Amino acid sequence: MTETSKSRWIVEALELHESALIRYARWILSDLESAREVVQETFLRLCKEDPARIEGHLAQWLFTVCRNLAFDARKKESRMTPLGDTEIAVAPDLDERRTVSQVFQLVETLPKNQREVIYLKFQCDLSYKEISEVTKLSVSNVGFLIHSAVRAIRKQMLPEVPQVPQAHQAIRRMQ
Amino acid sequence: MNTPRINPDDPKWTAYVLGELSEAERAEIEQLLESSDEARALVDELTLATATLKEELIPLSSFSMTPEQKAAILSAAQPVSQSSGSWFGLFPAKWAWGLAATAAVAVFGVTTLMVVNQDSQEPTRPIAQVAENRVPAEETKAIETAPPQAPVQAARQQEQKLRERADASASQGQSAMGYIVGGNVAAPRKDEKSESLQGAASNAAPPPPAPVQPERALQRTIVTPAVTEQEVRTAQASLPEELRANVGIATQERARREAGPVAAAPPPPAPPAVTAPGRGGGGGGRGGGGGAAAGGRGGVAGGAGPGIAQGQAGVVRDGMVIDDFRAAAAPPPPPAAPPARPASSTFVDNNVRAVPANTEAYDRIVDNPFIRTIQEPLATFSIDVDTASYANVRRFLTQNQMPPRDAVRIEEMINYFSYDYAQPTGDAPIAPNMEVAASPWNPQNRLVRIGIKARDINANRRPPSNLVFLIDVSGSMNTPQKLPLVKAGLRMLVDRLGENDNVSIVVYAGVSGLVLPSTSAIRKERIQQAIDSLQPGGSTNGASGIQLAYNQAVSNFIRGGTNRVILMTDGDFNVGVTNQGELTRLIEDRARSGVFLSVLGFGMSNIKDSTLEKLADQGNGNYAYIDTINEARKVLVEEMGSTLVTIAKDVKIQVDFNPARVEAYRLIGYENRLLRTEDFNNDMKDAGDMGAGHTVTALFEVVPKGGNVPGPSIDPSKYLLDQPQIAAAGAGGRGNANAASAEMLTLRVRYKQPDSDTSTRMDVPFVDRGSTFQRASADFRFAVSVAAFGMVLRDSPYRGNTTLETVSEMAQNSRGSDRNGYRQEFIELVQRARRLR
Repeated sequence: MTETSKSRWIVEALELHESALIRYARWILSDLESAREVVQETFLRLCKEDPARIEGHLAQWLFTVCRNLAFDARKKESRMTPLGDTEIAVAPDLDERRTVSQVFQLVETLPKNQREVIYLKFQCDLSYKEISEVTKLSVSNVGFLIHSAVRAIRKQMLPEVPQVPQAHQAIRRMQ
Repeated sequence: MNTPRINPDDPKWTAYVLGELSEAERAEIEQLLESSDEARALVDELTLATATLKEELIPLSSFSMTPEQKAAILSAAQPVSQSSGSWFGLFPAKWAWGLAATAAVAVFGVTTLMVVNQDSQEPTRPIAQVAENRVPAEETKAIETAPPQAPVQAARQQEQKLRERADASASQGQSAMGYIVGGNVAAPRKDEKSESLQGAASNAAPPPPAPVQPERALQRTIVTPAVTEQEVRTAQASLPEELRANVGIATQERARREAGPVAAAPPPPAPPAVTAPGRGGGGGGRGGGGGAAAGGRGGVAGGAGPGIAQGQAGVVRDGMVIDDFRAAAAPPPPPAAPPARPASSTFVDNNVRAVPANTEAYDRIVDNPFIRTIQEPLATFSIDVDTASYANVRRFLTQNQMPPRDAVRIEEMINYFSYDYAQPTGDAPIAPNMEVAASPWNPQNRLVRIGIKARDINANRRPPSNLVFLIDVSGSMNTPQKLPLVKAGLRMLVDRLGENDNVSIVVYAGVSGLVLPSTSAIRKERIQQAIDSLQPGGSTNGASGIQLAYNQAVSNFIRGGTNRVILMTDGDFNVGVTNQGELTRLIEDRARSGVFLSVLGFGMSNIKDSTLEKLADQGNGNYAYIDTINEARKVLVEEMGSTLVTIAKDVKIQVDFNPARVEAYRLIGYENRLLRTEDFNNDMKDAGDMGAGHTVTALFEVVPKGGNVPGPSIDPSKYLLDQPQIAAAGAGGRGNANAASAEMLTLRVRYKQPDSDTSTRMDVPFVDRGSTFQRASADFRFAVSVAAFGMVLRDSPYRGNTTLETVSEMAQNSRGSDRNGYRQEFIELVQRARRLR
């Protein structure tokens, strides 16, 4: 891979993942500036990697590195918070959500491990496998967490849910 | 019926809904769905819940790092720069982002160059191919403009495609000009001038592409595409020289690609050839369009052709017919002969200045004649920062065709190259620079080179910007004076922006949405696509749109930068709670965040002045009203865009030749840039703008006093002092005491500071020290060789004994350091032309 195609690769990686990574890091760090720094460091590390080695799991790689860096940064900032007990508390887009429904707040009430996988699934659009690699949870654990979270949300939404009997057929068509 | 037990706690159900199951697992679930109502209900619930989550959690705004951070990454992605440590080190960090991106662009451009060349070997390059070229871009747009429901996923699916089209998109360049949208370009043409074009288009598959180059008329009459192209170059001027040249390749490459279908292809064997005769011949413009096939002087109508075609290209792209635009875009067809001088002309001699005050563009270029100093000692013209003609000439030659002579604009060829002029010192934004030596094609004559250098921008001088355009796309905007104007204005503005600028686009109507997440303005094509995608429809709810825009601005806030929401609307908030008090409170509140608001009112009928003005006042902002494309340009480009990159505006040059030293002079090139003498001091009169670091070069051929002026001789007026008297330089008459000095000329330059309405004048007297051509600087000799090449290609009557051989020799001897290899490329072009002759 030539220098140029490498920089192209980096540019494309930026295109695809920059925003989601910053969002993710901001979620962990509760601060946009620090989040940007973490994401910058993530990409700087990507620059040192061999693209061939990362090809095919770029998203996992980026999110994993970003997550680790973000937790590191968080640990440095508040040495009182042990890594294992990291609280991801701030709604990423609270401002944007003021006018939106309660679903977001429902997500906020979820346990933090569920919250993160929900976030990675629905906001960053990672697959179970990718989430598993990022969070170091097993794929089945990820599946379980997401399933539980979705059902919990579903339960709390229940009163306003209209019947959509055809939905599963639509899904099958899609698949 | 034995209904299987359903365990709703099994994660497989959600996994199924989210498409995470293997084939076998999915089949199993589907079997259960067939047989179990319970399973169906469960899946329905989960489907709804996940859909809601997706819907609610999709990011509304996007985030990006600061330009500095990106620059650091991009430079790290370039091992070369790391090892040498010098390349990026030359520039402030902020440039690095652009550098890297542009370097990539340049390489892609070269790649495409080869592709296109291959294309041109084929008998025809049908429209389908052009459309193909667009397809990946459309796909990208789909990602960008679709609600980001599945951003990463979708993006990943596109990853491959992105890679595949990377070179194509990169070389499609930044400007929207000349885009061929679908196959519709030719459709709405009605004008007589373009009939033959249309015919050609329907006969031979490829429709004439929008002309590649900006026409002077378009610049004057302000037709968007031309202007944008012009602005692109102006914007390029703000880049460091290496970079600019790189961009040049890409831009030129796009030009080549777009002009390609008609001009590039050898006559197709099967379909009727694109031999648009006579009047239509020039319709493709200097871009070569039909001109190539019809032969150089494509007829008089050629002059009008490009204007119309371009005007319509813009119109078509907006999906509406805008008669005003077209009228403005189409200059009246010039007369067949070299245009007659109006009676008001102050010149008498036919040989003198064929076109008084070329305030309109003529596709046909008549070389500037020699002008006798005693008749008109003042030569006045506007600077020209265009470079398109060189790119176009190169395209022809690369395709083994001689360029039509009117496609050759010498000043644009000269200005394609950068020259090493001294930086301005002191407060002046620009510095003049002169050199004189013997003319290589006529050793009795002197060549005077005038160079203007604009100050290199200090990257810290202009803060990076974070601009969020909030655009009303409601039904009420669906008139020619509104949304199309918005889009035209946006395009012009975006072309002015650089790598320090980030642009987001939020639209609002019935619903508001993010059309373009914060995108660096180095990715102009992407931004232009988003602009192109704007469609009117729906009703307006101003409030949530403003909220979204502010959130977007805050998300991408650049500390110490320009953070601004620019609302473009007719102010007709006609849906939902448009409680003005609430709205203004919101804006007032947000203004404290450091995000400023500009409000631009559009349209003439239902604009709600008071609402808009109030919004702007509350938002620490300004309010402007835009009703014409001229106004859009003024507000968006001159007032907003130019404060971003322009160093000096309305730069005019007036050379005052000393009749005691100069018998006659001839400005080489700049035929379309001539100004009336009195325009020099008229600050209302527009001229070219210079971006940071730009150089502009002009050459005069000067016949020294007593020399032989080509053309018929003139009997002097019996009332004026005769020549010896002038030479004696007595007071009075045409020569005064100053004429006695050694000065050959005085260069006057007028410019305006980007924020000023009044011009500043610099006077620089200049003495000819009698240098020979060989002793002149390499830059001088190279510029002269480029001019000479242009004169040969144009078959100029003033080219003297210049041949391609002498051009080649001159160029080879003046290559200098040629960091980017552009001069070498020029030398190769000359060789190519020699082989074609």
